[in-house]
Amino acid sequence: MTIYIESMKMYLKSLLEYKKSFIMSFISQFFVFFTYYFMIIALFDKFDNIKGYTKYEVLLCFSIIQFGYSLIEIFGRGIDQFDKLIIRGEFDRLLLRPKNILLQVLCTDFDLIKIPRILQSIIILIISLVKLQTNLDIYKITTLVLMLLSSAILFLSIFILMASYCFITVQGLEVRNLFTDGGKHMAQYPISIFNKTFIFIFTFIIPYAFVNYYPLLYIIGKTTNKLYIISPLITFLYLIPALLSFKWGIKKYTSVGS
Amino acid sequence: MKVYLNLFKLKFMNQLQYRMAAIAGISTQFFFGIVYIMVYLAFYTSNGDTSLPMKWNELICYLWLMQSLFALVNPWVKDNELLSMIKDGNIAYELCRPINFYKKWYATMYGNRLAATLLRFLPIIIIAVILPEPYKLLPPNSITSFILFLISLTISSLLITAISMLYHSITMFTLDEKGIMSLLMVFIEIFSGGVIPLVFFPNFLKIIAYILPFRYIIDLPFRVYSGNIPISTAIPNIGISIIWLIIIIFIGYKLSIRACNKAIVQGG
Repeated sequence: MTIYIESMKMYLKSLLEYKKSFIMSFISQFFVFFTYYFMIIALFDKFDNIKGYTKYEVLLCFSIIQFGYSLIEIFGRGIDQFDKLIIRGEFDRLLLRPKNILLQVLCTDFDLIKIPRILQSIIILIISLVKLQTNLDIYKITTLVLMLLSSAILFLSIFILMASYCFITVQGLEVRNLFTDGGKHMAQYPISIFNKTFIFIFTFIIPYAFVNYYPLLYIIGKTTNKLYIISPLITFLYLIPALLSFKWGIKKYTSVGS
Repeated sequence: MKVYLNLFKLKFMNQLQYRMAAIAGISTQFFFGIVYIMVYLAFYTSNGDTSLPMKWNELICYLWLMQSLFALVNPWVKDNELLSMIKDGNIAYELCRPINFYKKWYATMYGNRLAATLLRFLPIIIIAVILPEPYKLLPPNSITSFILFLISLTISSLLITAISMLYHSITMFTLDEKGIMSLLMVFIEIFSGGVIPLVFFPNFLKIIAYILPFRYIIDLPFRVYSGNIPISTAIPNIGISIIWLIIIIFIGYKLSIRACNKAIVQGG
């Protein structure tokens, strides 16, 4: 853990070398991401519900997914850019060190510029909760925390899975955008508004539904079943195959040489 | 002129080499298209059809055209070759060449844009046409509106390239293409109709959007296709878009000359 914090400090120092640029990017990030929310806010100006969900219920869903995704984009950039480590042959260096390899990969890069996105998602989250007039008891708070955590865990798992894919080939990696960007894009809405096939894929193959659909139902009071509170825990299981495939990849790994 | 045409051809051929990226691009665009359509469909089916600014068949055309021609109208396209030249000082070589800086890069960017589009649009259109009913891309409203669509789309692609050139010229002064420049891009994306069709905007924003030149990039051509903008309004609008095109090219041209004169060569 200490290495991780050390690496982050180093990164921050290098970033602060270009202060003006850093601050500008920081501010612009805040607005760039606004487009995502803009769409939903503008559409709800014309429509009053989407399959029975109101504006703030959808925004709540949005903010939870954005929170997890931004968190992993910031701290998991190393794993997101893993193909570059492989292509440049820098991965060999990591193998020589007596530390956990995944941790080292995570240490290679950060993306603190995206912090405004997290702030933004938290702001939207709070606004939605207030507007929905949810009375936050201990159950709902637990649900909310679990949702936020599972959102991050799920994106981390997907990033690790994509990194494991790099061990086989680095060709056609653009397809990963479908799983990360595309999946994120979809999961921003309550999943029941979609077609049945989509619901199936995003419940059983990539469990987005457990991040923001079942627990959401509990928070907005559409169900009182207590089982829905712990439903986000299912996504934690998703980390297991991701980690296993990464381990398997390391075993199979042959260097690109040089 | 011949030089620029050749440059355009060269870039065009070059782009055609990246087939894998194109396939990935197509699948992503297609997926996004489907998701957008399902979201709008959910909106449309759960609310009564009262006073909606766009009929479903007009909206579906808008969404599919947007996805299939995304590479043509996307404001976020950057020329990494030019940007890295500006940053590492290789721009000095560019200034030594006996060809016009603006024209050269305009031709290059236009070539890139057109090739990227040609590689991508047809598969998406074909799939979109054979999809079942509510998802299906419909034929244009009439032959006249189709011709007007093609004309306005041509102007749109020239306009967005001119805006791109303006953006790259400004980068020669600021040396930073992220920060404030991405703000500008977001602004263009929203006010061109790239996020949602302009007709869904709240009223005061709609008024602003109709004054700005960006609506001629996405809003005009895609709505002309489906007949959401009738032919009688489309023609004067195309006229206005040509005036904007000339203005933006003129500003970009002047700015690029100033930028070249004042260029600070980075590095040695």
